[in-house]
Amino acid sequence: MRTRPPLRRVVRAAVTAVVFAALFAPVLLDRDSFPLSTYPMYSSARSGESTLLTARGVASDGSSRKLTPTLIGDSDDPLVVVGRLRAALSVGRGDVRCAEIAERVLMRSEFDDVVVIEIASERHDTVARTLDQKSLIDREVRAACDVPRP
Amino acid sequence: MRCAASVMHVLDAIAPATRLAAFRVVVGVFVLAYLTGRSPVFLALADRPAEDFDGVGVLALLSAPFSGGLVGAVVIVALVSGVATTLGWQYRPNAIAFAAAVLLLTTLRGSWGQLLHFENLMVLQLIVLAASPAADAWSLDARRRAEPDRHNPTEQSVRYGWPLAVAGLVTIVTYVIAGIAKLRYGGLDWISGDTLQNHIAYSAARLDLLGGNPPVLAEFAVRREWALGLGAAVGVAIELSAPMVLIGRRSRNVWVAAAWLMHVGILLTMAVGFPSPLFGAAFASFFALEQVVPWARERGVRWRSAVTAA
Repeated sequence: MRTRPPLRRVVRAAVTAVVFAALFAPVLLDRDSFPLSTYPMYSSARSGESTLLTARGVASDGSSRKLTPTLIGDSDDPLVVVGRLRAALSVGRGDVRCAEIAERVLMRSEFDDVVVIEIASERHDTVARTLDQKSLIDREVRAACDVPRP
Repeated sequence: MRCAASVMHVLDAIAPATRLAAFRVVVGVFVLAYLTGRSPVFLALADRPAEDFDGVGVLALLSAPFSGGLVGAVVIVALVSGVATTLGWQYRPNAIAFAAAVLLLTTLRGSWGQLLHFENLMVLQLIVLAASPAADAWSLDARRRAEPDRHNPTEQSVRYGWPLAVAGLVTIVTYVIAGIAKLRYGGLDWISGDTLQNHIAYSAARLDLLGGNPPVLAEFAVRREWALGLGAAVGVAIELSAPMVLIGRRSRNVWVAAAWLMHVGILLTMAVGFPSPLFGAAFASFFALEQVVPWARERGVRWRSAVTAA
């Protein structure tokens, strides 16, 4: 039995320094990326009021219907769902995303009464909302489309 | 002095081949389970609109996403090379393929406007593993080698200790950077104000508006504003104090337990799960995992003896 010799100490020191520098580079450059990152998630100071993107269904009687993350963004991860809504709206493709949501809603029988999809930015008192109190401050519809029912 | 000692700890760390092998198995099994569970998500990347693609990281120069066939091929390569890596079969090429495939998939996933920071550490640890001799023990490669070429699995060597120390360094620096980010972007408000309460409420409201289930303990936490102020300070302290794992066993155990509990708290109040730390893979390089097998074996023998005697 044998154990191969390790790398020379100077090589180990150089590689360790490179790893260390690479990990800290995004911090020095203040530039987030992947997999080297500034880890900015939840790091900003946040007020109790926030504007959130969402998509809702509007039923034939005019009432609002909550959708699901999968229907809105084809993912069960809310970060992904919101990221995709934001990305589409930022490049003026809200209508395209709206039509995709409408297609998915069409496939789900429990949403048979939904006739219109609205993508909206809503400003809420988020603490009040978490405590199940009245929270909506402002609402702006960013895109709307019909569910293509035959 | 302490800083110099920490550098020495990384550069001159020694460990048996079995410890690095155990790290390989733990990380390999974890990433394979993660990939298997999330493979529908990765495969669905092929259906995302090319118009919204905004490449990041190693895909920053791409102007269009992978084709559906290529995404499927990368998922298959990741799964197959992941199994081979975990078993230690044809280790070096498979470990490199595994790390590269997982890097590509996770980078691709972040290239539609939302970086998911809970995958960074997992990918970085795979890259460290791919560059290390993690299949010199407890592997199919090791079993296949002729006796004179076999590595001594119990001999302590820098060859195995240094890669583990580098993997640990990656974990430590990741937490320190997360702590720095809160002070840098949030300032003292992050730990002195009601920022944590607002983040928890924001996460709950976002989930609620998207039709998801709100986090289990969000309302409970938001009602206890005084505790959240303390929790914010403790959270940042945990992140910034990650280097204490290098001091000794007790400080390592205290920090790992604190960090793990912090992630459990984040999961229950914000529904944000960091799989690698929650399942322990992020902290695996800090521990003498090779001792778990003989310990379990000894316990098994004792238990069998007790049953026989009874």
